[in-house]
Amino acid sequence: MEIQSCIYQLDLLRRESLITMPEKMAEEAYPNLIDENTIRSGSNPPAVKKKRNLPGTPDPEAEVIALSPKTLMATNRFLCEICGKGFQRDQNLQLHRRGHNLPWKLKQRTSKEPRKRVYVCPEKACVHHHPSRALGDLTGIKKHFCRKHGEKKWKCGKCSKRYAVQSDWKAHSKTCGTREYRCDCGTVFSRRDSFVTHRAFCDALAEETARMKAVSNMNTAVAGNINYHFMGTPLGHSNPQNVPSIFKPISSNEDTIINPTTRGLSLWIGHGSQGQETMINNNLQGIHQLGPLCSGATFADPLVSCSNISPSDYHQNWVFGNKLSSSNSEELTSTSLPLIDVKEAGTQLLSIPSLYETQHQSNQTPSANMSATALLQKAAQIGSTSTDPSFLGSFRLKCNDSRVQDGNKLGGPYGSNSILSNLGKDAEKTAGDLFQIHPAKRRHAEIEDGSGGETRDFLGVGTVQPICHPSSFNGWI
Amino acid sequence: MDITLLTTPKEAPLFSYSNQKVSNVLQAAIDMQSNNQPQNSHTSTSRSSDSSELPSASGKWASRLLKECARAISDKDSGKIHHLLWMLNELASPYGDCDQKLASYFLQALFCKAMGSGQRCFKTLNAVAEKSHSFDSARKLILKFQEVSPWMTFGHVASNGAILEALEGDTKLHIIDISNTLCTQWPTLLEALATRNDETPHLKLTVVVTASTVRSVMKEIGQRMEKFARLMGVPFEFNVISGLNHLGELTKEGLGVQEDEAIAVNCIGALRRVEVEERGAVIRMFQSLKPRVVTIVEEEADLSSSRDDFVKCFEECLRFYTLYFEMLEESFVPTSNDRLMLERECSRSIVRVLACDDENSPEGECEKRERGSQWSERLKEAFSPVGFSDDCVDDVKALLKRYRAGWALALPQGDHHESGIYLTWKEEPVVWASAWKP
Repeated sequence: MEIQSCIYQLDLLRRESLITMPEKMAEEAYPNLIDENTIRSGSNPPAVKKKRNLPGTPDPEAEVIALSPKTLMATNRFLCEICGKGFQRDQNLQLHRRGHNLPWKLKQRTSKEPRKRVYVCPEKACVHHHPSRALGDLTGIKKHFCRKHGEKKWKCGKCSKRYAVQSDWKAHSKTCGTREYRCDCGTVFSRRDSFVTHRAFCDALAEETARMKAVSNMNTAVAGNINYHFMGTPLGHSNPQNVPSIFKPISSNEDTIINPTTRGLSLWIGHGSQGQETMINNNLQGIHQLGPLCSGATFADPLVSCSNISPSDYHQNWVFGNKLSSSNSEELTSTSLPLIDVKEAGTQLLSIPSLYETQHQSNQTPSANMSATALLQKAAQIGSTSTDPSFLGSFRLKCNDSRVQDGNKLGGPYGSNSILSNLGKDAEKTAGDLFQIHPAKRRHAEIEDGSGGETRDFLGVGTVQPICHPSSFNGWI
Repeated sequence: MDITLLTTPKEAPLFSYSNQKVSNVLQAAIDMQSNNQPQNSHTSTSRSSDSSELPSASGKWASRLLKECARAISDKDSGKIHHLLWMLNELASPYGDCDQKLASYFLQALFCKAMGSGQRCFKTLNAVAEKSHSFDSARKLILKFQEVSPWMTFGHVASNGAILEALEGDTKLHIIDISNTLCTQWPTLLEALATRNDETPHLKLTVVVTASTVRSVMKEIGQRMEKFARLMGVPFEFNVISGLNHLGELTKEGLGVQEDEAIAVNCIGALRRVEVEERGAVIRMFQSLKPRVVTIVEEEADLSSSRDDFVKCFEECLRFYTLYFEMLEESFVPTSNDRLMLERECSRSIVRVLACDDENSPEGECEKRERGSQWSERLKEAFSPVGFSDDCVDDVKALLKRYRAGWALALPQGDHHESGIYLTWKEEPVVWASAWKP
């Protein structure tokens, strides 16, 4: 019972915290509430929890203290009355006082009944300058002042990010460089800058932006209704091919979806005719709704739904594969390429398993105030986390190798003649041959892969997992 | 010229040559040479140097032979030219080690120079490159290169840092990007704009493309950039200007420059493509745009001051590309196809510099690089240098740490008031980045 009430309180506070302040401060203010382990273990539920207000909304009876910046930053505020030595913390001072061998009476702390104190930020332009938004903790106000208004003296050696508060810097240094960024296409990066650059050019982006726009529009509109609309449909399907046919496009948002979809499609269709595009458009609207459904109710977090692009893409490819190969003349020299190769040749790879891993997102905190960086990082984290390499991912790696070998082999017979005889002609020949050898080799690689030892279903995904996880409904109950 | 000698079919070259093979070829060459008609005194000294160095025929044979050949061409010693071209052809291969590759690509240029077919060869190479370029291949290649080597990203990070600082606080930014980097510089800038500032400014990006191979993919690139900017939440506008005959033709109106915009001109590897005589005019054109900051990134080589002296120009060109090829070899995996593509891209540039004369030259393909100090001289006419801030320098250093060993940042000596920073590879400066303000 207690556990449930704790969870309820947690959610209540979380939701409130969404409205009033950024996530970080919520975490800071509720360390004991957010630590779900202690709640769930149930072994020692704390009998009395210190009731805390939201930061910035102090107890009306508390004493408001306004310190000057100098006093605030002074490190030794606690002075021993006997020898005058200064200490950073009250506990340290008490420890020190013991050493003076005081008579028992004086050992007691001079009864300062702990009147609640709150502090305001000395910076006039700051929100927390006003007593109604004072912060309750001295350390808190110090850190706040440094972070917002202070000079950033601490610097990360690896990424040159700067911090004003030493503890922030230390915390960052621990994780800097250990973080992995994962793109929707399955590639993992250890460097943020190469991740960002890759992301901008990745084909996974095209589909995602379309969905993001659609979802964010729906989010601001009638989120709740839409939610129920989708919840009614069967979710247990493991065969994604059937799923798109269930959907009907949401009529209210047709306009907003059309444009991004068209543009996203142009990547697929290449230089296809206009007629093709509009037809594909209508069909795909349904498919694009696949995203929000499969991630359950995580509507508030648009990027979660964006990860589920693969079934729609696959579906699209399946239906339009022929058109793709005929119109995309630039890159493909032969139209006899098999369907899967067409997809591979046309774009970067998309990870199919991402459809099945929404259960990993149990701790998402939907927040409208997330920064762009956080959004981007979230999107990255949502990429494939299954341990099996995605079918197409390993496929691609094999293709790379085979292509390289071809290049070297072809070099042989041409090498001796190339330099001094017809230069242009030779280069053309080499390039042409490389192209022709590619599809054959790729096919070979594909077949090899398909007969690999891991059990895979039709899409090449390892284990099939349930699409929606109950915890993801938390925010919406 | 004895054409038949040069077109004799040969056996396929091996991937790596043993020292023995090289010595054999050199020995045969020496024997042949001694049977030829008497040479003038200049070449006889080189003959003796050949025989004396014969025992150590391995390692760096390419640079020796190539320089010899260049000298022979400069002296118009046709017998020697033949001879050396034959030797190089025997030993060269674009699929071998560094020496063999250099020999291969430079041989092509030397041959064209000797035959006078440079222009034609260049056009053919261009046509082939354009045909085989696609968005996917170009994207893959450039991203891979940036992943394994800071050659390009050095300039990007430095320029972005300078631009962000110069345009801090402005709400309407207009960046004029004169480069052929396929906009790979801009995602990180967009991210910085989105996350650094409290109020995200509006960014207009006008890309001026000079390389013909890049033009065809710009449409696709533009779409990606727009999508990405939307994802980042940065209000964004994108334009491409291509088909210019030369950069000096750009105007304020042509670029869509408006009065209330804060302008930044970003010029990566593009100034060297301007004809040497017209570089001053282009810089003045930049000035006329009234930018807040101009960022220039160029590769460090002097191929313009020596353009009248073939041998000197050749040696400098060889020095630079030796560094580049060695850098590529150490940065990529040995079987990398991407590296092969990058090396091939060099061949056009090498032919252009060495074998094409400046008259009837096509647009923007000059490729005569200059050193940072030389560019500084030119730029000082219209601009004054802006040093990179400590933050920016720290960013660059952090960037270099993420790559393999061998890369370093060098600040200018300071005595000549040199500007800009250098990327060094094994202590040799290779790329120069600088920022300027009016």
